[in-house]
Amino acid sequence: MSLAASPAGLQRRRKSPLVPSWQTGYLLAGPALIVMIAILIYPLGYSFVMSFYRWDLAAPSQHFVGLSNYTDTLGNGGFQQSLRVQLIFSALTIAIEVVAGIGVAVLVNGRLRGLKLARTLLLVPPMIAPAVVGLNFRWLFNGQYGLVNGVLRFLGLPEAPWLSDPNWALASVIIADVWQNTPLLVLLFLAGLQSLPQEPLEAAQVDGASPLDIFWHITLPLMRPIIMIALMLRIIDTFRTFDVVWLMTQGGPGGATSLITVNAYQLAFQGAAFGHAAAVSYIALFLSLALLGLLYGIPWARRKLRRAP
Amino acid sequence: MTDIALTPAPRRRRRRRLPLGLVVRYLVLLGTIALTIFPLAWLVITSLRNSADIFAVPVRVLPESVTYDQYVSVFSQYGLADYLWNTVAVSVATVVLVILIGVPCAYAMARFRLPGAKIVISVLLIMRMIPVVALAIPLFAVFASIGLLDTLTALVLTHTASKLPVAIWLLMGFIQDLPKEIEESAQIDGAGTVRTLVQIVSPLIAPGIGAAAVITFLFTWNDLLIALTLSSSEAAQTLPVGLTNFVSQFGIDWGAMSAAGVLMVIPTLVFVWFAQGLLVKGLVSGAVRG
Repeated sequence: MSLAASPAGLQRRRKSPLVPSWQTGYLLAGPALIVMIAILIYPLGYSFVMSFYRWDLAAPSQHFVGLSNYTDTLGNGGFQQSLRVQLIFSALTIAIEVVAGIGVAVLVNGRLRGLKLARTLLLVPPMIAPAVVGLNFRWLFNGQYGLVNGVLRFLGLPEAPWLSDPNWALASVIIADVWQNTPLLVLLFLAGLQSLPQEPLEAAQVDGASPLDIFWHITLPLMRPIIMIALMLRIIDTFRTFDVVWLMTQGGPGGATSLITVNAYQLAFQGAAFGHAAAVSYIALFLSLALLGLLYGIPWARRKLRRAP
Repeated sequence: MTDIALTPAPRRRRRRRLPLGLVVRYLVLLGTIALTIFPLAWLVITSLRNSADIFAVPVRVLPESVTYDQYVSVFSQYGLADYLWNTVAVSVATVVLVILIGVPCAYAMARFRLPGAKIVISVLLIMRMIPVVALAIPLFAVFASIGLLDTLTALVLTHTASKLPVAIWLLMGFIQDLPKEIEESAQIDGAGTVRTLVQIVSPLIAPGIGAAAVITFLFTWNDLLIALTLSSSEAAQTLPVGLTNFVSQFGIDWGAMSAAGVLMVIPTLVFVWFAQGLLVKGLVSGAVRG
């Protein structure tokens, strides 16, 4: 049947294209578009507008205050701290995750027994609820009964004030995030490694290049596009991170782990300052857009990315 | 000739050099596996201990005795059944809705020359970058004004809308990979657009639909922030919100919390084990195309 139909299809394609009419198309796309407009676009637009108002759910009238939510926010000590925390968190998690991800992927790539099992296991951390990860690491890092300090005591090493000291708390949150998200990058880089052209690698081996040279001068440059994708994914995600931190520290102690999203949540739902919170959440979005723009501005990155999808 | 002469040399070299390199690589592999499993194993072990065992100093690595008490108490004491039911209901309803309205939308975007399609597609991409909290803040106000706060309906609507962009993006990729000729011959045989979509295209993109469904389910199942914002009682609170209640309401009952955590992770483990291919497809095409 298909054999008989296909030549006819080829002949008729010019006269009556498959594309019926855009009305039919919009009928099909309509329900999804309506849901997204009503529940994504409209609220986001609403909160963008409201970020220029004094917006208090309890107050009946809301009046226009121009940019003052933004200027207030930028001058606010709590926000400045959370911006600092966010930048440290993003920079460290992304750096550790990308470097460790490439390292592990390059080393385990190839015919190793157990690699298949490892691939399956590596899917688990990125796919489990960040809330559970946060809870679990909170327990592991518990000062008195936690396993980590227990092991340190057993080894005769000094215990660490994991979640009670500001710097250690930030480190704990970073460790939890690294545990959860590095595996996804390992899988991404493994997939990237397998799609690399083999000729340059073989040529280098024949020429007697050392494994380190091959990695540095051939593998790494060839992997640039996939590294760029990983960086973009992680930039987007670190600026959205909330759950892990909320269950581990709730942004504490003393705001030491209050990422921008945590700051926005607390302003809105613990401080009832909706206008401020909207401004903060938009600043988070602008920041990650700006970082992506910077990344996209690097000429070779742009070239590689255009080719990637 | 030269090929034949060259092959033995690298082989001999490799045989001598391999052991050390191979040992390092196996150590890295083992280390990776151990680091991945170990925190989860600790969660499971904690959930199987009794309270005396949990608060032992020095920390006991292996439990003295295995008990299921914590699992019993999360249901009898902490009312986990409500949270569990809410989470299942919201996740399943979201998956059904996302697939029902997402597949036709993806089909229209991929195959029809819709005016404005480019704008829609770039908006879909930007939607992936929006911090959830930026959405949660206005949605709280919107749902409060129409009286839908603390209902499962609000959660399902919000999750459907926020998971649609990724699902549509993923499904579009699968549809674009289909050869157009199949649909054309179906239409020439007299099938209408809807019939072509339901009977011809949908079965062919079944893996894509599966991937979109699994990803949507897990991301909805895992969500904390939307449920935390939009629900305030057992009427609509989900498991992740339940976890936060363990902290504030009851002090911290680590054993029960771990048991609840294990229950939360089970669907993930099931999908990773049985639908690994779909998951990877969803994640990779979502990542690479996004």
